[in-house]
Amino acid sequence: MKVRKNLNEIMKEMKESDPVKHNIVHWHTIDEKEANTADLPMNLHPSLKEALQKRGITSLYTHQKLAYDTAMKGKSLVAVTPTASGKTLCYNLPVLQTVINDPSSRALYMFPTKALAQDQKSEINEIIEDSGLAINSYTYDGDTPSNIRQKVRKAGHVVITNPDMLHSAILPHHTKWVSLFENLKFVIIDELHIYRGVFGSHVANVIRRLQRICRFYGSDPIFICTSATIANPLELAEKLTEKSVELINNNGAPSGRKHFVFYNPPIVNKPLNIRRSATLEARMLAASLLVNKIQTITFARSRVRVEILLTYLQDLIKHKLGPKAIRGYRGGYLPTERREIEKGLRSGEIYGVVSTNALELGMDIGQLQVCIMTGFPGTIASSWQQAGRAGRRHGESLVIMIASSSPLDQYVIQNPDYFFKRSPETARINPDNLIILIDHIKCAAYELPFKVGEPFGSFETDEVLEYLAEESILFQNGEKYYWMNDSFPAHNISLRSASQENVVIIDQSDIANVKVIGEMDQFSAMTLLHDEAIYLHQGTQYQVEKLDWEEKKAFVREVNVDYFTDANLAVQLKVLEQDKHRFTASGEIGYGDVSVIAMATLFKKIKFETHENIGSGPITLPEAELHTSSTWFSLNEEFLQNDRGRLEQGLIGAAHALRHIAPLFVMCDPQDIHVVPQVKAEHNEKPTIFFYDRYPGGVGLSEKVYEGFEHVLMEAEEMVNRCQCDIGCPSCIGTDMSLGTAKRDVQSILASFTNMKIRTGGNHVN
Amino acid sequence: MSIKSKLNRLKPHLSIDRTEKEKFQCIHLEEIPFIDSWTKEGVSPYYFDGAYCLVREKEFPIDQKHGIYSFSQFSDAVEAWNSSYIDHPLSAAGYKPENFFFFDTETTGLGGGVGNTIFILGHASLIENKVKLKQHILPHPGAEIPLYKSFLDSVDYRTMATYNGKSFDWPQVKTRHTLIKEHVPKLPPFGHFDLYHASRRMWKHKLDRMKLSIVEQEVLGVERKDDLPGYLAPMIYFDFVERKDPEGMIGILKHNETDILSLISLYTHLSFQILRLDKKQTAREIYEVGRWFSHLGDSASAREAFSNISQGDNLDSLYAKHALAYEYKKQKKWTEAEQLWKEIADAGNNKVMLEACIELAKIYEHRKKNYREALIYTEMAKSISHTVENKKSPFSEEDIMKRFTRLLKKSCVKAQ
Repeated sequence: MKVRKNLNEIMKEMKESDPVKHNIVHWHTIDEKEANTADLPMNLHPSLKEALQKRGITSLYTHQKLAYDTAMKGKSLVAVTPTASGKTLCYNLPVLQTVINDPSSRALYMFPTKALAQDQKSEINEIIEDSGLAINSYTYDGDTPSNIRQKVRKAGHVVITNPDMLHSAILPHHTKWVSLFENLKFVIIDELHIYRGVFGSHVANVIRRLQRICRFYGSDPIFICTSATIANPLELAEKLTEKSVELINNNGAPSGRKHFVFYNPPIVNKPLNIRRSATLEARMLAASLLVNKIQTITFARSRVRVEILLTYLQDLIKHKLGPKAIRGYRGGYLPTERREIEKGLRSGEIYGVVSTNALELGMDIGQLQVCIMTGFPGTIASSWQQAGRAGRRHGESLVIMIASSSPLDQYVIQNPDYFFKRSPETARINPDNLIILIDHIKCAAYELPFKVGEPFGSFETDEVLEYLAEESILFQNGEKYYWMNDSFPAHNISLRSASQENVVIIDQSDIANVKVIGEMDQFSAMTLLHDEAIYLHQGTQYQVEKLDWEEKKAFVREVNVDYFTDANLAVQLKVLEQDKHRFTASGEIGYGDVSVIAMATLFKKIKFETHENIGSGPITLPEAELHTSSTWFSLNEEFLQNDRGRLEQGLIGAAHALRHIAPLFVMCDPQDIHVVPQVKAEHNEKPTIFFYDRYPGGVGLSEKVYEGFEHVLMEAEEMVNRCQCDIGCPSCIGTDMSLGTAKRDVQSILASFTNMKIRTGGNHVN
Repeated sequence: MSIKSKLNRLKPHLSIDRTEKEKFQCIHLEEIPFIDSWTKEGVSPYYFDGAYCLVREKEFPIDQKHGIYSFSQFSDAVEAWNSSYIDHPLSAAGYKPENFFFFDTETTGLGGGVGNTIFILGHASLIENKVKLKQHILPHPGAEIPLYKSFLDSVDYRTMATYNGKSFDWPQVKTRHTLIKEHVPKLPPFGHFDLYHASRRMWKHKLDRMKLSIVEQEVLGVERKDDLPGYLAPMIYFDFVERKDPEGMIGILKHNETDILSLISLYTHLSFQILRLDKKQTAREIYEVGRWFSHLGDSASAREAFSNISQGDNLDSLYAKHALAYEYKKQKKWTEAEQLWKEIADAGNNKVMLEACIELAKIYEHRKKNYREALIYTEMAKSISHTVENKKSPFSEEDIMKRFTRLLKKSCVKAQ
């Protein structure tokens, strides 16, 4: 019998043996870092000091000390802390010490998910228990039994919750929380970087409502935020809380030696420059680690990928480790299922996890040795978050990033410098997005009447309040606007998703035992849960038998087939109003409001191993209309005006490249910003490429593209130039092109804005 | 683009109910619109701090009937409590009829939540041989300070009676009061009789829904004429706020009035049920009263109620007998319990028979150590258990089997 290999032996093998060593483009080692510490604060209560010492904490890391001092001075702060640097002490210490000083003090902890809140409750309760102090800390979420809710409201010094609960259960019932709001000293916002885009814009408004209620009860809490590394933590914290915030980034925590391997799968089709699928490579690497019982987490970019990988891996080692040793973990699972997985990871019963970025968040899953990313996670910040999953407690660890054929992945993997040296992305929110804002002004008016001229955070409300009064939602009486409607506004507003109602997924494989197995937002459901779609859940395949669009239900049945489905979305787009624009030598760039009409048209069946197309079918769903903000660039008419075919393919190719580069610059999920080419745009009749925000009204993503437009174009051009293919491949401009000139035309289009001149190159066609 | 025109463009994405479009007008506080129509209905303004609310007052003679009871019988009920030794959550012992107020609200929405506005606070009491009803009306949002001031000035009582007020009306009063607590007196502490829970205990067996209007009709014999359904109240109120015409509001006030008056009859009726003063009380009602006493731990009163009806051979008597046996068991009066259960085991429907057999088996096994008898009753239970839906332990087939095997062993050992 073979002896199990340890991580160092496996790494040595990777470096030396064929064929793996040829695929490693870059091996980056990050050396261990010594701790930087400071003494425990002088004024810390002896019991608290003792509790820390019991846990082996005799000094603080420098950033923890600074956070404590800043908070105790009454200043809001944001601490930027990598994974496993002891961020919780940054807020637990000042909070506990303040409650000891004045037992009437209250603190509100906000975590992005229920699971994280549970985790943190155990952590703070352990300290409290060790200190023997009479401090109550409770979680307050959908799972809190009704008989202890009363106690949490009245006597909880520390209330741990999530933004959704704050939005729909705490703020609209603030009169039941008088002792919390009258004495609120701290608001803790953990995982600050999660609050970006639509979700962040919602949460910023929830915080406006929170502060409005605090003012009513006469409190003015300070905010303690913690964030992963992003480019603008301070800006984000200040925009989210609308307070002046201090930045704390003197991380003093030690870290273990970490190996960061860039892995590019071999080219399997030279002329088309197609590489072997990242999923297949991940399967091979993960399997070789798992059979040696090395705990490994594998990240995949989409839910579907998670399920595919899971099926592969479970099949592979079912007999060696048992069927439950490898689990999936992603958004659509039910909470109990997720808790069980988190527990299994910590206890070591589960060796491998395949996850979407749900596990990026700081859930305590114990020590994993290896992290494999199937494809670049989309942003540098989330790459580091995922990488932090391996060796978070200071051992030697390995991170493997496997590039897919996508242009962005190829760009990143061939530019290690870009990855390791460039500052990470910027997180954007737009709390003043009217759609989001107006929802929260309604909730705010429900909670407390608005005075005429009263601002909502930094937003001037006059026009919105007048509008709501005109719509008979509010009633103006003298100097105040009152809620005048029989509804409960918070119930109709979800912080997490653009569309208001999710599609419920119902498994009817067993007629006697029909059950709900998950849910999905409407927009995703159009392409993932249409009739006949193959939906994967915990590695099991389901076919959608019927999507009841009216009732928002998808009925599925378990099947066993060797393909998955992929749907097309047809998009029509027109400009409603142009707010900004500027000219360049070869065209113009505009920003404004657009209307987008999207319709799922047909789907393809794609075979598992070979990824070949084995069939297709129509999708009959109503079209969805979206009003949003957009940035576009139009070429001057003379460009390729005589050859419409080449122009079209050039635009499609350029859009393909830009679609992958743009999300990197605005720090968003690739599906949050869409890129659509038009040969002849309706508003100016010019060849145009549009970037638009997926969320109604826009959350500032396309505006950011407008500001940094030339830069985005330049990066896209460089990516295409650097690609080794001849006439275009999936890694640069895509493969939908039939003309050999496409790649050159794309280069010309992209260069036209940066070089201020157009390389027409129309005469030498291959 | 201005914000308003943007909002109009984004309208399809905004979840706004566009049924009523006209703009509300600002009103001037000095003049009260339609004051003449109001006066006709006995409504007058109450001014406080430069604002006003409206107050409707109405009196009813003490001998007026509301359903099967006259208001004067409420006094009889209070008196009956005072001369009874029974301790019960609905007991008025130590109270005078004048110490009560019967209370009900109308609100702009369902459920709790700060923004759900109370627009009528109505209450009635017995004063100087009359029933006096007072309803405080919110003329428009923003006039809550005079509304609550007016209300708090007129409720000088010890205890209130409501229908589901413990979980809805009173918490909502507290919520809205919190918003203006700087400007109005504190809410005094009141005792609270919530007649909803009492009615549920008494009549859940015969009513599908426990809405007050149903209890009224089915139990109290109250007939409403031209009553408007409660769910229309918010819409009528919004219309009133907009148009100021009291027409629709008068309907809501009458609805609220009937609700409050029914509370008086309901309390009277409930008291007569518990004190067993209602001559028309059904066996089932007595049984429910007994169960309530049993739940409260007042075994003597429970036994008294059960014994009263256990002598017949109809279903109610059977259940009463069964319940009585459990009371004896609680008191460790094994012989009395054994006797009753034996009667049930001989004649009854399968459900109680099954339970009786098991209980007998327990008595014989654990108290009287008579394993043979225990075995006989267990076997009997075994033979009928499949016909009964009760799968709770110890009545499940599995538990019965276990008991059977154990007894078999015990009786063998004893026989040797």
